[in-house]
Amino acid sequence: MNTELIGELIKLRYKLMWARTRTRNGKIAMFFVGYILLVFFIAIFSMGGIGAGIVAVRTGKAHTLAAGVLGVLYFQALLATVLMGFGINAVFADVELRRYPIAAVDRRIARHFLGLADPFWFLVLALELGLVVGLYAVGPGSIWLGLIAVLLLFVSNYVMAEVVALAVERLVRMKGGSAILLLCIMCLGIIPALAGAGMKKHPQLMAPLLRVLHYTPPYGAASAILRPGVEALFGLAVIVCWLVGLSAILVALERHPPQAHAAQSGALAWQGPCERLGALFGPANAPLVAQWLRFYSRNNRFRTAYPLALPLVAFLTFTQAQVAGPNAQFANILGCFAMIGFIGTVQFAVNQFGYMGGGFRRYFLLPTDPAALLRTGSYTFLMLSAVLIPVATIALALFSPVKLDARMLAMLVGAAVAALFVMHGVALWATLLGPRRGNFKASFGNDLSLAGNVVFIGGLLTFLFVPRVLAHVWPAAVAPGAWWVVVPLAPLAAVFYFVSLRNACGVFRSRREQILGVIEGRA
Amino acid sequence: MDAIRVSNLMKKYGTVLAVENLSLQVRKGIMFGFLGPNGSGKSTTIGCLTGLLDPTAGEVEILGERFTAESSKLKRRMGVMPETLGLFDPLYAHEFLAFVGRMFGLDEAVTRKRVTELLDALELTDRSKTLGDFSTGMRKRVAFAAAVIHSPEVLFLDEPFESIDPAGVALMKQWLRRFTEQGRTVFITSHVLETVERLCEEVAIITKPGRLVWQGDITVLAHDGTISYDGKEFEALEPLFLHLTGERYTDLNWL
Repeated sequence: MNTELIGELIKLRYKLMWARTRTRNGKIAMFFVGYILLVFFIAIFSMGGIGAGIVAVRTGKAHTLAAGVLGVLYFQALLATVLMGFGINAVFADVELRRYPIAAVDRRIARHFLGLADPFWFLVLALELGLVVGLYAVGPGSIWLGLIAVLLLFVSNYVMAEVVALAVERLVRMKGGSAILLLCIMCLGIIPALAGAGMKKHPQLMAPLLRVLHYTPPYGAASAILRPGVEALFGLAVIVCWLVGLSAILVALERHPPQAHAAQSGALAWQGPCERLGALFGPANAPLVAQWLRFYSRNNRFRTAYPLALPLVAFLTFTQAQVAGPNAQFANILGCFAMIGFIGTVQFAVNQFGYMGGGFRRYFLLPTDPAALLRTGSYTFLMLSAVLIPVATIALALFSPVKLDARMLAMLVGAAVAALFVMHGVALWATLLGPRRGNFKASFGNDLSLAGNVVFIGGLLTFLFVPRVLAHVWPAAVAPGAWWVVVPLAPLAAVFYFVSLRNACGVFRSRREQILGVIEGRA
Repeated sequence: MDAIRVSNLMKKYGTVLAVENLSLQVRKGIMFGFLGPNGSGKSTTIGCLTGLLDPTAGEVEILGERFTAESSKLKRRMGVMPETLGLFDPLYAHEFLAFVGRMFGLDEAVTRKRVTELLDALELTDRSKTLGDFSTGMRKRVAFAAAVIHSPEVLFLDEPFESIDPAGVALMKQWLRRFTEQGRTVFITSHVLETVERLCEEVAIITKPGRLVWQGDITVLAHDGTISYDGKEFEALEPLFLHLTGERYTDLNWL
């Protein structure tokens, strides 16, 4: 192993980070604030882990609870990486590293070491380590075996995330892959509910299910931390087996990249759905809207995120409705349902030009107002999200976890339309003020700037938690009786959007050179 | 009437001066070479002349009309092949050219006809590859096709022949000659001085930071004539260029 060159690459990664930061004083301040916040969160997560460990011991079900906490954490980390792209950003692609005299094995080690050094994984590790310390502090846990188990679990979690991400990437590249993925996600969403109901009916199934779960990494880690002698070693062996197996799959997937397939041959295709949809926006906008649609319809990330919007909102709506009390149930449904107005497109709307690469330059050579580009891009995302609202409304009316009356339906649609306009209005400013060059070919990874992430993740959290808080502090505001307040929010939000768009177009004209510099990687 | 008239053009990137008080005129119906060493501001100047960049100061007139980034009508009469080609990698060549054709106001039937003819003429017939899969030379051909698809009156070409094979270059030169014979204008930058000497009637040479040091007719060179400058006679463009921009030689003893 060429540790010297691997070390150089790791140094380079941090030099690059610092180089990006030092261009502006404000950025340096943000960088340090970000790292202080990260340390703060790591501390909180560690304390959370310690607390969970103490609680687990005091309830007398230390092993089950520890396994449960580790299992949930493992699954959450997996979801966050696959859906949001945290922790699997390829800092250096293999193609880039091939330029240097480094062997394939060293390249792989360097890439994955850098992947593991993502701040997201520090948080996961902090919580797991906290749990080990907590379990050790109040009695039964073994600190050394616990540390080894947690480190192995942490690495296996990362490798699992990489494997799932690569598998999904392969899937979405296949013809009909998005549909298969959609089906898988829906199954994943439905299975826990079905399994819960099945367990209630047939409690005798619980024991065999638990036996199977003992062969999973989180259970193995819990055994290694809490069980004595052979059982602890068996727990470690389980994690090692998973790690070896997953690593083998990862290496196999990386060694056999998907073959580029000829998507088209023979006669040229001139008119497609993109042109027909573009034509809805009038002759002046039609070619640009069609271009946006065609461009993003070939983006793997978009092809994954957009079809996932409906099942994800359905999953959130159903799970949040179940965890809430009867008063907060509708409030939770309202918040989750409103996300359909932006969840499928907003991560692209906050960085409209980020994936254009050199093509972005082309738009300014065209005989059109440069702002038409921003406007048509925003219309495209607005249209794509708007299409999901009626579909989601019909689905919710048919399968709602609570009985819905006309006022409730009006509120749900009003909230979704308001979210559509507000979030896409805010996204315009993130696009202009915080653009970031993204990797068009990647299916995963978080390419967004700080501003983009604030809008995207902040938006999701707002719609998830604000209705819940309102249900406690001001229940009347999210009760069906308040429909006459929520419904007018939609036209108000539309006004906000169009005013934002008008002003943003002016700003775009003056900022286009700066954005060009960022998109082409010069700034 | 001049096809292009630039008056006191200045472009600053923050505090960095990229083009300094550049003034030049390009006659209609000629092939005009715009030369300068690396980093002298050629591409920045083309950016300002084509609406990609906003000049910090100065004025640009194209075909007798004042030109700014918002001059949509004028842009329809111009074709541009930028240095960074500005292609959309996920698109197929015909999709990209059709998009450009429609944006420049061609109707659907004309767009399809011209796209098909351009793809055939430029040998871009591999329809299984997207632009991202094309070689550098093929990408350059696509960018050239995008610049000419709407038959512009003024054509800006930034390093058009780099990476293109000799047959492709010959074809493009033939098209460009016909283009100027019809009274249209070509504004071209290139580091291949022999090509510029053979193709262009007039040349402007700039040095860092975008400062014009010489502009003149070079047709005499094709007839074994010479260009007089600074009391010296130059029989070719290369010695004149080197004289104006500064010859340099550094010896690296390990190389």
